[in-house]
Formats: sequence, C-alpha cells, structure tokens
Amino acid sequence: MNRGPFIFIGVLIIVSLSWAVTLVKPIQEAGNLAPIGKGESRVPTLLAGLALQGREVYQEQGCVNCHTQQTLATVGSDIARGWGDRQSMPLDYVDQSPVFTGYNRVGPDLANVGTRRTDADWHYLHFYNPQITSPGSNMPPYAFLFETRKIIGPASNRALDLPEGYRPEEGYEVVPTPEANALVAYMLGLSQAYDIEEAPTPEKLAYK
Amino acid sequence: MNLICNLFSSVFPSLGGDGSQREREQTIDSSMRFAVLGLIKGSVFWLLVASLLGLIVSIKLHSPSYLSEYGWLSYGKAYPAFWNALVYGWLFNAGLACVAWIIARLGGRPSGNSGLLAISGGAWNIAVIIGLFGIFKGDQNPYRMLEFPSYAAPFLFAAFIGIGIWILLAFKARAYRSSYASQWYALAGVFSFVWIFSIAQAMIFCMPAQGIFQSVVAAWFGGNLLGLVVAPFAFATIYYLIPKALGQHIVGYRQSGIAFWSWIFFSSAAGLASLVNGPFPAWVASVGVVASFGLFLPLSVFTMQFLSSLFASFSKIWDTLSVRYVFYAVFAFIVATALTILGSLRGIQEVTQFSQFNDGVRYLFLVGFAGMAFTGMVYYILPRLLNKELPNPSLADLQFWVQGLGIFLVTVSLVYGGWAHGALLNGSDADTIAILQNTKTYLFLTTIGSVLFAIGNFAYAVSFVWILLSPRTEKEQSADLIEPAPELEYTHS
Repeated sequence: MNRGPFIFIGVLIIVSLSWAVTLVKPIQEAGNLAPIGKGESRVPTLLAGLALQGREVYQEQGCVNCHTQQTLATVGSDIARGWGDRQSMPLDYVDQSPVFTGYNRVGPDLANVGTRRTDADWHYLHFYNPQITSPGSNMPPYAFLFETRKIIGPASNRALDLPEGYRPEEGYEVVPTPEANALVAYMLGLSQAYDIEEAPTPEKLAYK
Repeated sequence: MNLICNLFSSVFPSLGGDGSQREREQTIDSSMRFAVLGLIKGSVFWLLVASLLGLIVSIKLHSPSYLSEYGWLSYGKAYPAFWNALVYGWLFNAGLACVAWIIARLGGRPSGNSGLLAISGGAWNIAVIIGLFGIFKGDQNPYRMLEFPSYAAPFLFAAFIGIGIWILLAFKARAYRSSYASQWYALAGVFSFVWIFSIAQAMIFCMPAQGIFQSVVAAWFGGNLLGLVVAPFAFATIYYLIPKALGQHIVGYRQSGIAFWSWIFFSSAAGLASLVNGPFPAWVASVGVVASFGLFLPLSVFTMQFLSSLFASFSKIWDTLSVRYVFYAVFAFIVATALTILGSLRGIQEVTQFSQFNDGVRYLFLVGFAGMAFTGMVYYILPRLLNKELPNPSLADLQFWVQGLGIFLVTVSLVYGGWAHGALLNGSDADTIAILQNTKTYLFLTTIGSVLFAIGNFAYAVSFVWILLSPRTEKEQSADLIEPAPELEYTHS
C-alpha cells in the first residue's frame, strides 16, 4: 500500500467493476427498447409541440425536486391514491431525455397528472397560486409565469378567472405567459394511461 | 507491475541534514500558504452561501409564499443550489485544502508547484459560480448532484484535474517511502472523482443512455460522490488528526487496509439502493442494497479504530478544539452510515422512500461527518499556516456547540419527521396536504436547526477573518508557537 500506482490501480479496478456490472450491463440488456406500434396506438404516447416546450419549463423550474414521475404498484399506496393504474416501466420513458423520475415527494407524483387533472383552468389557477385550488399546500406560487396587465379595450379571453381575494385591482387582468401555457400543456399531456403487458398492476399481483 | 511501480516511484532522499523537524514543516507550510489559504477562503465563503440557501429552502418548505416573487429563487432552484453550494462549494474546497496540506505535510518535503494549486483552486471556485448561476438562470439538470448545467462541467473537471495533479505530485515528492492511511484516502478520493465524474457526464449528457438509465447513472454517481470522494477526504483528516492533535496512535491501525478496500468496494455501488421499487431493473437496485449492507464491514472497523483511539485519551478530547470536531464527526459518521445501511433495506424503504428521511441521512453524512471533520482540520491548519494563535478561542467554542446543535436538530427533524412523512406517504392514502399538516412541526424544527447552523457558520467566518487579519503579537513574531506534533501515525499498536 506504499505506492500511489497500487492504490490507483486498485481503485480503478473496483470502480470500473461497479461501472461495468451496474451500469453497462443493464444498459446493454434493457437500454435499447423501441416504442411499440405507430400513430394513435403508439406506446408510449408522444408529447405534442407545446407540451414538449412545457417539459423544458418543468426542468428549468426544478419541479423534479418535489415531484416524482414514477408510479409504484408493488409497494406503497400510489394505486389506491389514483396516481396511476399500474407500475411505471422503462418503456414509458424511452422518448424522454432527460427523465424526471425524481427522488422526493414533497408533492404528489405526476406521472399521470394529465389523466387525473384534465381541466386546464385548474392548472392555471394552481400555478398562479396553489392556495386557490389546494388550500394549505406548501407548493410555492408561480405568479411570475403570469403577467398582470392593464385592460385596454376588451378583456383578454385568456385572462384567469380568479376568485375573490386573489384578483388584481380593478381594471387589471392576469394572463398566462407562453411559459405557463407550455407548462399547462405538459401537465395535461403527462400520462402513462396505456397498457404495457409486463407492467405489474394490483390485479396481476393478486394472482401471484 | 514492477515496471509500473518503478516508473511512478519517488526518489528517496536521505533526511539527515534537513534541519529540525519544525523548520522543515515551516518550509512546507510557506511553500503552499497562499494556495491552501485560498481554498479555505473559498470554503468559508461557500459555507456562508450554503447556510443562507439552506435557511431559505427550509423556510420555503413550510411558508411557500416566502420570497416567492423572485422567480430565480423559487424552491425548485434554491434546493439544488443549496446542495451544490454545500458539496461543490464548501466540502470540496475544505476537503481539498485539508487533503493537500496533509499530503504535503506527511510527505515531509515541500513539493513546489503551488502556483498550480492556487490557479486550479481559483478555477474550481469560478466553475462553482458558473454552475450555481446556471441553476438560478434555469439551466439545471434534473439529477441529484449533477444539477450544474452541462456547460459548467468542463470547467469543474479541468479545475479538479489541476488540483488532483498537484496532490499526486506532492505525494510523489514525499521523502518518506512508506505511506499512511490518510494518503491512501486522499489519492482514492482524487482518482474516484475524475473517474465517476467523467462516467456520469459521458453517459448522461454526451452519449445519453436511454430513458430511465440516465437516472440509474445519476444514482450511481450521487452515491459515489459521497462514498468515494467526500468520505475518503474526511477519513484522511480523521486518520491525520487523531495522532497529531490528540497525541494518540490509531488503535488497531493494522486493520486500516481492510477498512479502506472494503469501504471503496461496497460504497462504489451503495448509491443504487435508492432505486428500489421504481421503473428500474430490480436487480440493479438489489446490488445497491447488498452493497449498502456490506458497508457494515468497514463501518465496524472504523468504529473500532476511531472510538478506541478517542476513548483512549478521552480526557484530552474536550481540551483540543480540532479533536472535538473529530469526535463529533466520528459519531455522525457512525450514525449516518448505520442509517444508510438500515435505510437501504427494502422493508424500511417501503416506509421512507421519497420522504425527507433520505435528505436527513445525507445531511448528517455530509455536514455532520465530512463538514465537521474538515472544520476541525481547518482549525488545526490555520495556526500552523499563519503562525498565530486563535485570537478568540471562546468564539470557536461557541461555534462548535451552536453548529453541533444545529446539525443535530436538522438531522433529527429530517430523519424522524421524514419517517412520519414516509409512513403517511407510502402507508396511507392521505393526500399530500394532510400529510404536510401532520409533519409541519418537523419542518419548523428544521428551520430552527438551520438558523443555529447558520449562526455557527457566521461565528466560524468571524473567527477565520479575525485570525487572518489580526497582527502578530510580539510573542508570535519572536517565537515559534507551534509545539511539534507527535509522529505517531506510523507507530502501530
């Protein structure tokens, strides 16, 4: 142990072994999945243009630090909560780079938020101030994704319908910026609501 | 093998006629004073930044409207900025300063090249600034400890290569042929970081692996960053400080080799345990669980060595500031590693997965173990590097207790609160707002802990600036204040 090269070679061998066994091997085995089917029936479904831009906003704002995008079926209560119908599978993520699987759940899992919250207005209000739609939540308001501006001429049809107490002063309206539109489109598009045969579901696990 | 060893082997000069021990030490110190002080300055600065960010993050978690009008400081950006400032800013600067100094001192000869160390140390700090700026600007990556945008990575890498080469050169220039455990850990940390950082960058950003495998690579990197880089640097300081500052050889030093290799081996895959139950290949997570469990072997050796050595001179621990930090660090290490091992078991993960439990363990490991060990080492280095006494020891005393209490509070509230959080999250179908209401007490407790930790860090910064700026007293100018440290690191028991 008295020489540098001995330590260098030892560490190199150990780290390379760990790399080869736990990263290279699984990627060779399962890291080359192809989507199944085409068009409407493609698995996984593809995100449309605006939703793809929303993906970038999601990454920019660091949403991954509080929200996972993975439904667990074998343990936990994700299915009981209605956060999904089945276990998330590697196939669900083949089109994504980077992936937002996440590691903290300060807030709910979002893998299927597009199937569970289908109302765009709910998302707009929720982003503007989560206290409107989810009182007591510790999600921060994303009001900076909205613009409060003076109404000139007819009011915008995109303006938020804010409840009492959250409205701007008379003569002003709150309209979403393009980032907010993209983020909401992404939320509505986030879904793993298609069947993957191998994916564990509570029904399949019950027969085990 | 012989050929390679010969190629790399150092020259072995005779030490006779080199002057007295202390004079030799002073030559080493003065050869690297500017560079090491630069790294320590960087570490203190980033510690202040990180404690401020940590405070903001912990307040935002229970009062979401706090500072919410600043889009660049939203929770999603402040949270990764906090962890990255903590690790790449504080711990890397402090750890590299300690390790560079230890390598030079144990080598027994000034290695020169201190320009390289100073420049690459400065470059490292610039790279951290670029990375944090990128996070605030909105270019973060969604992977833990890889959040720095891709354009910061080459700077970070190049700067680290510079520091690493300096450490290798200093090791190569050593006068003593044999090497001590601190040196092994220093070299292992340097080699590992270069290796794991290039793998992570290549497999996630340059040639991205498909889908979820990016998360697998990120989990591997995140675990290894703690286990193979930060922890070895901290071990290096503990192995150095116990003989030098406490005057007690390491009890059972012969077992160090086992501890070293088993620690490297098992922690090289332990980070993968966090992938259980997710959409990842189950066996990869199982490898991580098994590897985490294997950490029991090095943990027991470390516990035996460190605790026996510390308890052998127990009465002296409280008199020596540096050793008090080591004492805290050793306990934090034992608790954090035990929690890592237990927390990797599937039965426990069924409760704690995705909860704040894991943040708490990580915090204790990084701050309580590595951070406290480095702080103790900095308090050992500073008087020697500057030939000044600590101007206000009671301020440093205060710092120790306040920091220690802060870390304890944050850890307890995150680990215990995280357990409660996870039990409701994974074991019930309560909605997340109801869970929040049930665990809010712990979030407030975290904030109190963060405030205490920040106060301690402020005291640290004051102490540091004070000793830097205070003029040398007459006694300090005329005499050498430093008592020679015992040469116990090579004596085996």
